[in-house]
Amino acid sequence: MASLITCPHCGPRPKEEFSIRSDASLTRPAPDADAETWHAYVYLRDNSRGRHREYWHHAAGCRRWLVVERDTQTHVVHSVTDAADATRTRGAA
Amino acid sequence: MAEIVLSHRAALAGVATGRFGAAFDSSRSLTLTALPEGHVLHLLAAPGAVPHAGAITAAGGGTLRAYAPGQWFVVGDERLTASQKAEIAGRLAGVADVVDTSHGRVRMALSGAAVERVLAKGTAVDLAPSAFPVGRSATTLVGHISVQITRTGEQSFELMVLRGFAESLWDELIGMAREFGVEAVGPA
Repeated sequence: MASLITCPHCGPRPKEEFSIRSDASLTRPAPDADAETWHAYVYLRDNSRGRHREYWHHAAGCRRWLVVERDTQTHVVHSVTDAADATRTRGAA
Repeated sequence: MAEIVLSHRAALAGVATGRFGAAFDSSRSLTLTALPEGHVLHLLAAPGAVPHAGAITAAGGGTLRAYAPGQWFVVGDERLTASQKAEIAGRLAGVADVVDTSHGRVRMALSGAAVERVLAKGTAVDLAPSAFPVGRSATTLVGHISVQITRTGEQSFELMVLRGFAESLWDELIGMAREFGVEAVGPA
């Protein structure tokens, strides 16, 4: 894993300052979706090798939620954005 | 029932003081000083507002430490009265909310020629003057302790920590500075 994450607010910071929450590419199902859909959303993950989009919390820094795009094979960090901005961009798209 | 009298006790009262580690040499050794428990005001910008740091400083009247997007600390050596705090909050009305955390946070100063090398043992934040000039502030970890580090001079930093961690950080900094020699000066 890359040991430096460039926080959009704080600059390059050691990964120890962050905690990883989960996959950021999932879309929450509708409240009345069937059990199978919810089961897949909550439990099923591909755990693929390669590019991942995840929620990271800069817990020991600015305490902002971030979306980190990184590659589990090459350790390259492609992008780090504030989760609020990422959501806004997705909403607009 | 006996009346309980509360008295203020400095968070760093009773910590280890004196000289530690290598023989003290003013050209390379460090000085760790407990700063007065004055005021630490936490400023939170109104949602969506992007306050100008200059305006915040002017209104806050103290020294500004950037904490997070839209959040700052105003720190100073003097204790503020309730009316002084209310006055600051009044000046910042509509710009930022003011929360007094003076009782919860403790400041200490670390200075000396090797200060960056000592702090680098605790954090991976780039503290070189080019990346971290005087006035720059960062919330980070020193070991496992969450610390707000601010460069206050060419060879001096201020470290602000939650009160309960003050003594641990104090001891840790002495340990980190031993190879250069360190003099620890407790609260006045």
